[in-house]
Amino acid sequence: MDLENFVFKKVTEEIEARKRASERVSFHLHAPKALFDLVEDIEAPADPKSKHSDKVGETSPYVHPPNYALKEFEPNSGIFLRTNWQIQGYLQEQADALEKNGSSFSLNAFELILRQLHKLAPELHRVHFLRYLNSLCHDDYFAALENLHRYFDYSAGTEGIDFVPPASGSNSFGRYEIALLFLGMMHFQFGHPKQALEVLTEAVRVSQQLSNDTCLAYTLAAICNLLSEIGVSNTAGILGSSFSPLTSIGISLSVQQQLFVLLRGSLKRAESLKLKRLVASNHLAMAKFDLTHVQRPLVSFGPKASMKLRTCPTNVCKELRLSSHLISEFGFESSTMTTDGAFSTAWLKNLQKPLGSAILSQENGSGSNENAFQFCVQPSSIPGSVLQLIGSSYLLRATAWELYGSAPLARINALVYATCFTDASSSSDAALAYVKLIQHLAVFRGYKEAFAALKIAEEKFLSVSKSRILILKLQLLHERALHRGHLKLAQQVCDELGVLASSVTGVDMELKTEASLRHARTLLAANQYSEAAAVAHSLFCMCYKFNLQVENATVLLLLAEVHKRSGNAVLGLPYALASLSFCQSFNLDLLKASATLTLAELWLSLGSNHAKRALSLIQGALPMILGHGGLELRARAYIAEAKCYLSDPSFSVSENSEVVLDPLSQASVELQVLEYHELAAETFYLMATVFHKLGQLEEREEAANSFKKHMMALKNPLDDEDPLFNVL
Amino acid sequence: MNSKESCRSELRIAIRQLSDRCLYTASKWAAEQLIGIEQDPANFTPSNTRFQWGSSSIRRRFRTNEITSTPIAGVSYVSTPVMEEDDAVDGDFYLLAKSYFDCREYRRAAHVLRDQTGKKSVFLRCYALYLAGEKRKEEEVIELEGPLGKTDSVNRELVSLERELSTLRKNGSIDPFGLYLYGLVLKEKGSENVARTVLVESVNSYPWNWNAWSELQSLCTTIDTLNSLNLNNHWMKDFFLASAYQEIRMHSESLAKYEYLQGTFGYSNYIQAQIAKAQYSLREFQQVETIFEELLRNDPYRVEDMDMYSNVLYANECSSALSYLAHRVFMTDKYRPESCCIIGNYYSLKGQHEKSVMYFRRALKLNKNYLSAWTLMGHEYIEMKNTPAAVDAYRRAIDINQCDYRAWYGLGQAYEMMGMPFYALHYFRKSVFLQPNDSRLWISMAHCYETDQLRMLEEAIKCYRRAANCNDREAIALHQLAKLHYELGRPEEAAFYYKKDLERMEAEEREGPNMVEALLYLATYYKTQKRFEEAEVYCTRLLDFTGPEKETAKSLLRGMRTTQSGFPSMDVEHFSP
Repeated sequence: MDLENFVFKKVTEEIEARKRASERVSFHLHAPKALFDLVEDIEAPADPKSKHSDKVGETSPYVHPPNYALKEFEPNSGIFLRTNWQIQGYLQEQADALEKNGSSFSLNAFELILRQLHKLAPELHRVHFLRYLNSLCHDDYFAALENLHRYFDYSAGTEGIDFVPPASGSNSFGRYEIALLFLGMMHFQFGHPKQALEVLTEAVRVSQQLSNDTCLAYTLAAICNLLSEIGVSNTAGILGSSFSPLTSIGISLSVQQQLFVLLRGSLKRAESLKLKRLVASNHLAMAKFDLTHVQRPLVSFGPKASMKLRTCPTNVCKELRLSSHLISEFGFESSTMTTDGAFSTAWLKNLQKPLGSAILSQENGSGSNENAFQFCVQPSSIPGSVLQLIGSSYLLRATAWELYGSAPLARINALVYATCFTDASSSSDAALAYVKLIQHLAVFRGYKEAFAALKIAEEKFLSVSKSRILILKLQLLHERALHRGHLKLAQQVCDELGVLASSVTGVDMELKTEASLRHARTLLAANQYSEAAAVAHSLFCMCYKFNLQVENATVLLLLAEVHKRSGNAVLGLPYALASLSFCQSFNLDLLKASATLTLAELWLSLGSNHAKRALSLIQGALPMILGHGGLELRARAYIAEAKCYLSDPSFSVSENSEVVLDPLSQASVELQVLEYHELAAETFYLMATVFHKLGQLEEREEAANSFKKHMMALKNPLDDEDPLFNVL
Repeated sequence: MNSKESCRSELRIAIRQLSDRCLYTASKWAAEQLIGIEQDPANFTPSNTRFQWGSSSIRRRFRTNEITSTPIAGVSYVSTPVMEEDDAVDGDFYLLAKSYFDCREYRRAAHVLRDQTGKKSVFLRCYALYLAGEKRKEEEVIELEGPLGKTDSVNRELVSLERELSTLRKNGSIDPFGLYLYGLVLKEKGSENVARTVLVESVNSYPWNWNAWSELQSLCTTIDTLNSLNLNNHWMKDFFLASAYQEIRMHSESLAKYEYLQGTFGYSNYIQAQIAKAQYSLREFQQVETIFEELLRNDPYRVEDMDMYSNVLYANECSSALSYLAHRVFMTDKYRPESCCIIGNYYSLKGQHEKSVMYFRRALKLNKNYLSAWTLMGHEYIEMKNTPAAVDAYRRAIDINQCDYRAWYGLGQAYEMMGMPFYALHYFRKSVFLQPNDSRLWISMAHCYETDQLRMLEEAIKCYRRAANCNDREAIALHQLAKLHYELGRPEEAAFYYKKDLERMEAEEREGPNMVEALLYLATYYKTQKRFEEAEVYCTRLLDFTGPEKETAKSLLRGMRTTQSGFPSMDVEHFSP
């Protein structure tokens, strides 16, 4: 979901940026012709001039250095035009800043400035748009709605794409479908999916009527995002037959299938219209879809093609690759301009780029930003929105590898994002990359390092109020509390996560699943097996309803774990197997390895005669676990392996003590890093018994002491200094 | 009639004081009210021809227990002598300054009074400076108007005026007129709360300055601010409250106040016009028309408020009366915004929308914040199918006054015309929020819900129900409710509403296709309910109409007769259409 949020935002930003970029050129046209006469003497000559400026914008997009381009305007454009540009530039900068770190903006201060600006220049309607953005960023629904309507009432949406000549001759009609598109996205942002869908449907209809293909493409993309992000279990009655040819022939599709059809349509449309950015973001959306969905035949009659019911990682990679093509295409396109409005004015954005990032890098003062800075200052620098899109493809890569189970690749991609794209991206996206990196640290290096990194991240993203950073902190705290046996603390943290999940502005399904998953785990840690099973079960039902298949695999695994811990290994087996099959069809290799491990543990607990089978299962999964697994998983695997050997009656400790001792000592080291007292105690217990059998009394005592230490720590969790206690 | 007398004498003094201070509008207003006070029969002189009012159809109440709200005599009388003394001191300079002022040479007037310290002189000097600044500002606006509309021109005198007046106020050496000016300056500078207190001070110590009251009223946009004002009980307060109520759309309260005031100011044209305004808001067009006819008879060269009359004439499609009115105001003063508006309405009714737009635009050139001209221009653009221009015009009206439900409604219509019903709903919602008792708005909103694109019939039903509860003149709501319920498969509700509709049509003696539809539905409905007597009644009524329904009714009747005469019911099923 993080990812989905993120990609959606990308698209919003792109569209907004695109609109904004194109709007800048000719806002004299804001006042409809009818009103020109009111201010005729001055206004009249403004019209041809702005036309002229359009042309300049179109022909000289990036090749000219900004100063030159500006100079070209000055001689024949009079004083007011220059001030207009300045105001526009200011507004543009503010809009960028709003998008980047929205909530850190002071609502009232900026509103005051805008109001002043409006007072001075009532015909500059962009101010209303900025006011809309401002109130949107601060979750002021009514103000946002009001300003959005006001902006489009005044501007008639014509400034948005007014250089795109309408397909059917001259069109005096305003471009109000853009207003619908924005309204739909606003409802989406505020968490009103039903209304958003209604409005976007209307946008589709109006765009079709007016044959505004560009807007239609964007609207379709927005609908795709809406469907993929929000757990809509049923679109019947909202989405009309105009969306896909299939619904019109009376075949009812599930939401997912509908989404797929829409995505395909949207991609095709964007490609045929040569909307590069939209194509790229559609590819991203497609990749996201492929990542978590098994492709099925849409039509269930006719000769059944033999389908293997698995996700296709190759498709995901292909889509990601295709979306990254944007950056190269952008280089080629810079000289021959298409009618795509955003491109013709994007050069203005570059005008501010060096300045903006210089300030940023000063503020950050960290070495990693140097690269990004240089990257932006390159002579043929790339517009920010393109950078954002490319950046998001890296984030998506990181997520994809996270799911597929390649820790190093996930980490590399997140690192690339954090080093190269933080300047171009919004702060919440940058926070996401940091979150990924810190999670990685926590899993592979233990909590100490993770919390140190978290501190840095917190300082960096201090301004972002509803950040993922807070969620990450809660996650880490919960994880750590569980490991150390602070069940009360774990419960407390878990409850806080639950509160975050039931936020007022729409429910974040991802967070909601996470919260209840953690709730179940806390219950399990407290040995309340039936309650844990009940929570997990209802969670499974929810995931099933909203088609969250990847989460299903996790939940099933948890259920298997619950049964294993409660001593019902036989009951646990089917869950583990089901989880395995889910993992297989979604290519979740790491999760699969962990499910295999659980399966092995289950077999092992059925009796020593299954030890062989368990051992072979573990050894099958070991390469994956050792290569990509975190500390906990590795330790568990080691312990399980040792246990298999120990319970095998044909295995003699005295002959082959290394086979057991080596993994156990490795596990003990890793578990101590994690401060996972329970498992550590178990390890030391096993070690002590082995040493006892070997007759090495000194080592035995040592292990026994360590065992005791961990047991004590587990029993009295509150004794030690806990620097993290005060963070809550 | 002591209180009438006292009002009269108060006003007489006030008029002199106001015109002495060049507060022309206020003195004009006061003079109008003075003449508007009903004559005692004892003082009645035959030369007073205004008595033809008595024959008018306008409701007027002659109350005997009037003006109970002027108990604090001190308030109304204290301030008068204080200002008289000034005259003796700076009389000559003052006379010169006032002459200059009358010739609109404001700076010169201020200069003459530069060393005068009397309160009256100080006020006139400040007022002259203020007006000089305003004049310059207006000129600048026209001279410097940039492509972005307004320039940043402000009244340059405001700062110095504020400084001077605030020191005067601190010293306590400020009179009510000075306070009024101070309030004006503060309001212009945007410090509304202080402006409100200062203006309240001003009207409490000198209540006859209508300018101060109207400034105060423009600062009271909600009932809460209005209630929080600490005002002395003077009869002028009733005028203020009546006008303030009107502004915040409490029309019936406002109407009640005006009717009460009419007890004293029985012949006040101002009150007549305000009552007309309130009635207009309550959509009592017939009464408005009568009032304006009376007004025009008494005051044939009146232009104020006449644009509303033209709106009423337009709505009632009285083209000849509108033409007469338009020609009259054209001859009186064609360059007043109201005149332009009336002429615009006239052309619109004649179907010459381009010309009409031209006149509305002229009205707006004369007064950029002329609310109804923006709205009416929007209507014209709608007629001309130029929706973007209409949207723009409406939006400007809304930005002038958020509460103009007509503009919101117009925006909704415009967007609905463009095939964006869902988007339009936002605007309709706004308009019904502001004017919840107007059935037309509810019907339009319901219609919007009903469109093929939305088909949100449940919501449409809710809207129609609201419309039916309001005074639905065109009787669309009931019919639509019946139809919608029928479509949604709720025969009982449908029958209920058809019956209501039928009753209504009977009461209003209307006939037509709706009548036939209702009768036919009710007949078949009662037949399926096996309530044959009722069904028969409706069938026989249907026989009075010509057309295919007559035949249907006949066959229905036949079918019922056969059932009742003992045939097995199965046959009836077969034979009935």
